Amino acid sequence: MLETFTPAVCGSRKRQIVAQALFAVAAIAAAAALGLALGFVGSRVGAREAVLAAAALALVAAAREAGLVRLPLPQARRQVPDRWRFELPLPVWATGYGAGLGAGLFTFQPVSTFWVACAGALALARPLPAALCFSLYGAGRAAMVVWPRRPAEDPTAAVERLTRRRGALLRANVVALVVCAVLLALAPAAGGATLVAGSALDPTVSGGVIAFETKGGDVVVRPPGEPDVVFPDAAQPALSGEYLAYVDAGGIRVVRWRDRTEVARIADHGVSRPALDWPNLAFVSVGADSKRLLVRDLESGTTKYPARVAPGADLGRPSLRNGRLAWHVVTRNRSRIFVRTLANSTRRVFARTEIGRLSNPSLSGRRLIWVDARSGVTYLRHGRLDSKSRRVLARIRGRAASYWTTSLAPGAAFMTRWTIASGAAAVYKVST
Amino acid sequence: MQPPERGASALDRQAEKLSAKLAESTTRRSFLGRLSAAALAVAGGSAVAAAVKPDEAEAFHFCGHIWTTGSCPSPYPPLARIDRKGLPLHPQSGRPIDNLGRIVDSAGHALDGNGNRLRGPDGEVLAPAPRTRICEDWTAEVKGLKDLRVQGAWFRCCGGQIRKLVDCCSRSRRRINGDASLVGYCWGGRRVYCVMYYDTGLPC
Repeated sequence: MLETFTPAVCGSRKRQIVAQALFAVAAIAAAAALGLALGFVGSRVGAREAVLAAAALALVAAAREAGLVRLPLPQARRQVPDRWRFELPLPVWATGYGAGLGAGLFTFQPVSTFWVACAGALALARPLPAALCFSLYGAGRAAMVVWPRRPAEDPTAAVERLTRRRGALLRANVVALVVCAVLLALAPAAGGATLVAGSALDPTVSGGVIAFETKGGDVVVRPPGEPDVVFPDAAQPALSGEYLAYVDAGGIRVVRWRDRTEVARIADHGVSRPALDWPNLAFVSVGADSKRLLVRDLESGTTKYPARVAPGADLGRPSLRNGRLAWHVVTRNRSRIFVRTLANSTRRVFARTEIGRLSNPSLSGRRLIWVDARSGVTYLRHGRLDSKSRRVLARIRGRAASYWTTSLAPGAAFMTRWTIASGAAAVYKVST
Repeated sequence: MQPPERGASALDRQAEKLSAKLAESTTRRSFLGRLSAAALAVAGGSAVAAAVKPDEAEAFHFCGHIWTTGSCPSPYPPLARIDRKGLPLHPQSGRPIDNLGRIVDSAGHALDGNGNRLRGPDGEVLAPAPRTRICEDWTAEVKGLKDLRVQGAWFRCCGGQIRKLVDCCSRSRRRINGDASLVGYCWGGRRVYCVMYYDTGLPC
């Protein structure tokens, strides 16, 4: 096929360049489309299962390439249709050749790495990044067509040089596959999430800064590239830009976390679970006959009362962002996630169930995440306020561990993952 | 000559006495069991009849269930064990569980292996989770049916105690297995959608 992209066959040097460009664009686009499709399917399958399967496949492929096992590869033993360049216009056949080879499925597969890449795209479970990664495969295909060479040289000379190095290439391929297998196997350690802080809980994120409570009883604010700011004997942090709210022995305290200046205080031993979107502070107040959710404007002093429940109900840690408030109410009969717009007090039930436990929602813009606990499995779910569609960001199978509090930021979700028997907890991050 | 209504009421009284005596001395299970054993004895000989004693029952997926309808959704599928109110119980221990499958106390708080209330990572006692009825709530939400009712039941001897097998009934013509549903012991136009069981603890 490479002999096709010569000035003699194409008709001129200029037509050769056009053909090579069309081939390259088509190869990259076809490869990206394949990656997009695989990433989409993977997002529906479930990242954890796909990641483990991809790791296993990479190991098997490495064994095959090392000659340890003999396995046939699924492939279409075909070359590009030669007659196209006689029967079709140059733009059509050049594009067709590029698309056919860029997709990878319709031609020879000398090694198994292509199929491991497909499994990896499934495991990535994100269509656009998978498309980007797979486009590199198309770029590789295009590279052999457009590789600069001396004008008088045989166009297949570059391929011949590669072929003479086949042994080294195959060994490098084996190493790459083993490395892939190890990286993929390590990825699902926390359901595909990344550890942010060990022995910690209650993450809160604002403007790229994260804060959390340590199991030792402190609140840590961790700005990127700067030292941690620690508030001892503090709990349940809530960040909003330069402001931090947390619970201490006297109630709820709101400070500027950089210089620790106190800007507000709710002096009451019965208050907890703050959520801060300056100047609004939401918190739970527990009384003798009820639990109430309050939202106080710390500048004007006005207070709203969005929710009130019986003492036996669980009124959970609220989330306050962009003028919206989200919270959970769990009783022995049902579990619900509420969302309320502060400006007009409209309230809606965003999610409900009578057979599971929905808790700890977190808002960011028009997106919402929450914990959905069922018998034998816990999900971290993601939804939009203007859509009924839901998806699973992470899950834990079994009864030994679960998710606790959450925090949502642009592009990432943070959650506490805890072990039920011991109470050990850590904060993890997963891409959204 | 007695007035017609007096003769009729005497007959009614006799019939009533007979039916009351019958109800006191037999259960539907034992009566039908004896009847079927007698029929088999006539048809196939005493050896066969002896093998079909109304005793420990073979089951398709749990003891006592000799039909094919699947169990209702529950915290520990496929064993949908319930209490008198249709709320879930742990299949092995028979202790109350919440919808997350955790053993709970009377207030609904989840317990650890030592019987202490579970605490969250913040050290506070975990709030109760929902605990709802297997038929009317679990099955309704999982399968999207709104007309589920607990209706018919039958009894078998399992593990030395009487087990009550309970039909969760719906007007749906498809049962939880996905195929055509059976009438079973449902009534009012309903059919068996899924089954549950309640262990009475009464010896048999």
